[in-house]
Amino acid sequence: MDAKRANRRPNFLLIALYVLIVAPVVPVIIQSLAFQWHWPDLLPSVWWWSVRGDVAFPLAWDYLLSPYSHVFSAAGNTLFISISVTLLALVLCLPAAKVLVSHDFQWKQQVLALFTLPLILPEMTLGLAFLAIFIPMGLAGTYTGIIIAHLIPVLPYMMRVLVSVYKNLGHDYEEQARLLGASSWQVMRHITIPMLLPGILAGCLFTLLVSSNIFLLTFLVGQGSVETLPTLLFAKMGGGSLDATGAGLTLIAMVPGVLLLLTTERRIRDYQRMD
Amino acid sequence: MNRTTRQWLALLPVLSVMLLLILGISLYAVAQSLGYAPIYGIDAFPTLHYYDLLWQQTGFWQSMGLTLYYAVIATVLALILGFFLALALVKQGRNHAWIHTLYKFPLMVPYLVAIAMVILIFGQGGLLARLSFALGWIDSPAGFADVLYSHYGWGIIIVYLWKQVPFMALSIYVVLMGMGNDTDEAALLLGARRWQRWLYVVLPQVIPGITSATLICFAFNLGAFEAPFILGGGFPDTLPVMAWRLFTDSDYNNRLTGMAAMVVIGLVLLLLIAIAGRLSRRVFQWQGAGHGR
Repeated sequence: MDAKRANRRPNFLLIALYVLIVAPVVPVIIQSLAFQWHWPDLLPSVWWWSVRGDVAFPLAWDYLLSPYSHVFSAAGNTLFISISVTLLALVLCLPAAKVLVSHDFQWKQQVLALFTLPLILPEMTLGLAFLAIFIPMGLAGTYTGIIIAHLIPVLPYMMRVLVSVYKNLGHDYEEQARLLGASSWQVMRHITIPMLLPGILAGCLFTLLVSSNIFLLTFLVGQGSVETLPTLLFAKMGGGSLDATGAGLTLIAMVPGVLLLLTTERRIRDYQRMD
Repeated sequence: MNRTTRQWLALLPVLSVMLLLILGISLYAVAQSLGYAPIYGIDAFPTLHYYDLLWQQTGFWQSMGLTLYYAVIATVLALILGFFLALALVKQGRNHAWIHTLYKFPLMVPYLVAIAMVILIFGQGGLLARLSFALGWIDSPAGFADVLYSHYGWGIIIVYLWKQVPFMALSIYVVLMGMGNDTDEAALLLGARRWQRWLYVVLPQVIPGITSATLICFAFNLGAFEAPFILGGGFPDTLPVMAWRLFTDSDYNNRLTGMAAMVVIGLVLLLLIAIAGRLSRRVFQWQGAGHGR
């Protein structure tokens, strides 16, 4: 009906909502580059680059990119934890997702419901309970403890993506190969794995992001001894104000999400659905 | 080894991890709130003593009200705005791929990023306050509204909205696209008016599909920590912030009281899920629940 006409005309509601979604990044960028931004100036009066040479210690981005800020070690920790959680989740979910897709059995709905539960449980509850269990086990403040805790929010997403991957796979090619005399190893090697791989990759990138964005579980279980990008950002702005360094750190904390949005968003979109 | 056994073997690792972690942790949290905490040298299980202590905390009911207030307002507004965004996206069609990508940006970044943005824009020294000054509406930072660091302030709600409107929109968009036009066209042919088609055809199909997304947002908002901790008005805090303050107290008894506060949030959620389950039998169906926390 009027869909075609709407396509040519700019959709004002969409534009308005889009501005609200994207525009807030601008003040963060400005603040990260500011040296002096007094009330009530609309733009900073002194920018960071014009005073960089005048002081003995590193400022704003110079500080962030120096070892003093711990940004690189926090980024390394974030990456290490998210990769470990992702691989662990992949190994756990891969065989299970295949069974959940290809077979009907009693309790199937209950099993699926179990994977919705972590989305509803507050991280504070999980974190405090983990802490009480991990302290006597010596796991509080360790990578292992954080990785185990991250499994709870990560597993549902991995499961969801893998189930869609298997659903979209179809068995036609496998059967054709078998009819043509391929052994089950050959079918696996030349048909199943190449067809699964893009979906698995998309799922992994997605859970990498989920894990790297987690703050509270890391903060509680890590006990301040393991720094990740979100905990570093919290430490910087926990008091409720945001200086140039804090703004720069905010931009750095966006990097994993922006990268994922740019590279794989379209691929992931096809795997969102599952029922 | 028969087929069924093999299937269960494939499910066993992930199921045992899930059961152990989720049910184990939940039961442990409840047990702790009921007085079982040997590591803190407390073993009074079962006792309601720590719930008693919780009720007696000054400001407990204000905390409860504050927690519910933020969660309810944010979830309802996110649902409404998300619905409009989803409709706009459907209308837009598929001709500009980036439009269907870029709006998911808030889903991809931590809540702390949203909090940073709100501080810079809505603080009393923030961008909107400066703009108001430039326009001559206010003459000092204090003249700007208390959006942040105040009770019932909008700062926290804006953080939730920025993160969750795209999430809702995505969930609703998926439902709308999966709905098809058949029944709507049938209603149109039968002479239904625009509002009748909305009320009797579109809404009944959309509501079951978005129940899970709504529940996920509401649950998150009830249990959220960062936004109310950083942007809240201080004492009395929301329940999760209160739980954290109790937990970091040097008196170990208070740790159990903090756990009781989180169990109370869990009970509120269970009640809500039960109600939602009555209203919609498809709460636990996975469709419509998009990604992003």
